[in-house]
Amino acid sequence: MIGVKAGPRRGSTIARAGLGWLGLAILATVWQLLGMELHTAVFPTFITSLVAAWHVVTSSTLTTDIIPSLERTAAGFLISAIIGITAGMVIGHYETVRDWTSAVVDFMRSLPTPLLVPIAIVVFGINGRMVVVTIISAAVWPILINTANGTSTIEPTMIDTAKTYGLRGRKLFLKVVLPAASPQIFAGLRVALSVSLAVMVVAEMLGGGSGIGYFIANAQQSFNIGGSYGGVIVLGCLGWIFDTLFLMFERRLLAWQRGTVGGLLDV
Amino acid sequence: MSDSVLSIRNLQVSIQSRDGSMNEITRDVSLELKEHEFVSIVGPSGSGKTTLLRAASGLRPPSGGEVIFDQKPINDVPKGLAIVFQEYNKSLFPWLTIGKNVAMGAAEYSNQERAERVEKALIQVGLSGFATRYPWELSGGMQQRAALARAMVSNPRLLMMDEPFASVDALTRNHLEDVVQRLWDSSTFAALMVTHDVGEAVYLSDRVLVLSARPSTVLAEIKIDLARPRSQIETRRTGRFGELVAEVLERVEEAGRASVGIEDTIQK
Repeated sequence: MIGVKAGPRRGSTIARAGLGWLGLAILATVWQLLGMELHTAVFPTFITSLVAAWHVVTSSTLTTDIIPSLERTAAGFLISAIIGITAGMVIGHYETVRDWTSAVVDFMRSLPTPLLVPIAIVVFGINGRMVVVTIISAAVWPILINTANGTSTIEPTMIDTAKTYGLRGRKLFLKVVLPAASPQIFAGLRVALSVSLAVMVVAEMLGGGSGIGYFIANAQQSFNIGGSYGGVIVLGCLGWIFDTLFLMFERRLLAWQRGTVGGLLDV
Repeated sequence: MSDSVLSIRNLQVSIQSRDGSMNEITRDVSLELKEHEFVSIVGPSGSGKTTLLRAASGLRPPSGGEVIFDQKPINDVPKGLAIVFQEYNKSLFPWLTIGKNVAMGAAEYSNQERAERVEKALIQVGLSGFATRYPWELSGGMQQRAALARAMVSNPRLLMMDEPFASVDALTRNHLEDVVQRLWDSSTFAALMVTHDVGEAVYLSDRVLVLSARPSTVLAEIKIDLARPRSQIETRRTGRFGELVAEVLERVEEAGRASVGIEDTIQK
């Protein structure tokens, strides 16, 4: 860690994590009771679904579907991050570029993903590449827009200071614009991460050829009800793992910011 | 003319407003700053002091006239010119420690020399031992001293300051004025400070220029013949200090009265 003392709220952090688990337990109980009450084939109980989820991750589905999905999500998210942050900084920093691109950006980000999947299938075929491209087409926008926003609202004094010390071009972007806009960039990245997961599933259901979305759609169509609910649980766990890793990463990189927010009060 | 560090010749700055019309901020400002001279520019609020300083430092291109620094016309912030801004909390980078912020000013040196210079600059402003702290862990006055250290770390020939003490309380301001005076006394740089605080301008400067309301021109130049080194208590106690403050204040008031009509239109 970078010289930041542990906050005074450590105890309550554990308590809050405990509450998170309690919420999950309540959800599972309600699911279980509802499943037992309805007693129908299309809505299995929580425990039945959990067992199915366990079968999903311990069978060959792990290598044929889950790992490819993870790779696609990671690739789509990372490429979106690179494109979104780079383009966002340029659009945010130069007013002229902003004026030229704002209409295009607004048009592109309004296109719904299910509309783009058939086009992507025609261009790339039924494969992982199509899924990655579809993820990018949706995940890049929250990153780009947040980055552009964060960049355009950087204090002019900060840019003046950077220029005074000879920072120009790429150095200005990497050493000043990127860190200064990073709180907003991270907000965009977090949204993009959940978008990536959701779009991955949709794209795979419509034409991934493999992957967790393909597995769920397949299970549904072949009346493997337990399997499809198991897939949904696995998917939820993946989302949770991704978000937890992301927050750990963010906490580390934005440690300085927690200080500024808390520190300004007692100046 | 050869001993002048900075010469500003017939500087004119117009800024394009949102509706596309041009707003003339600075009409005609000329000034010569000699080696190791301390000059302040005071003017009524809205007289475009910051705009003038930004054009004089190369941060924005002027609409007319030229700025010569070290015998060369400038079109960018030149090496050897350091700037201290009013808002230390926006000028220090919050993601860098104080030591790393100060090191920004000494990027061109080797690692070892940079470390030595940072150390020395922090001692000069009384912040040794704070290198590993973040800006938000320091008080406002300490942050502005860190900004001063960053400006001094490369031994500039000219230090420009834009209302450097306007964001701190009165006692801290006195203290910071003396930090600047001590730095200036023990070094060779020339200083150009923009301020609306007449007492501060008189206390620190060799000359005070009074700016008219915008579009601004230099209305008056007052020589400050107070003995150096100056002290907050002894210097301010002398009758001469009071006279000079009154004289500058009178010219600023004149400028302000002349501008009341213009100010009103700008507000609307």
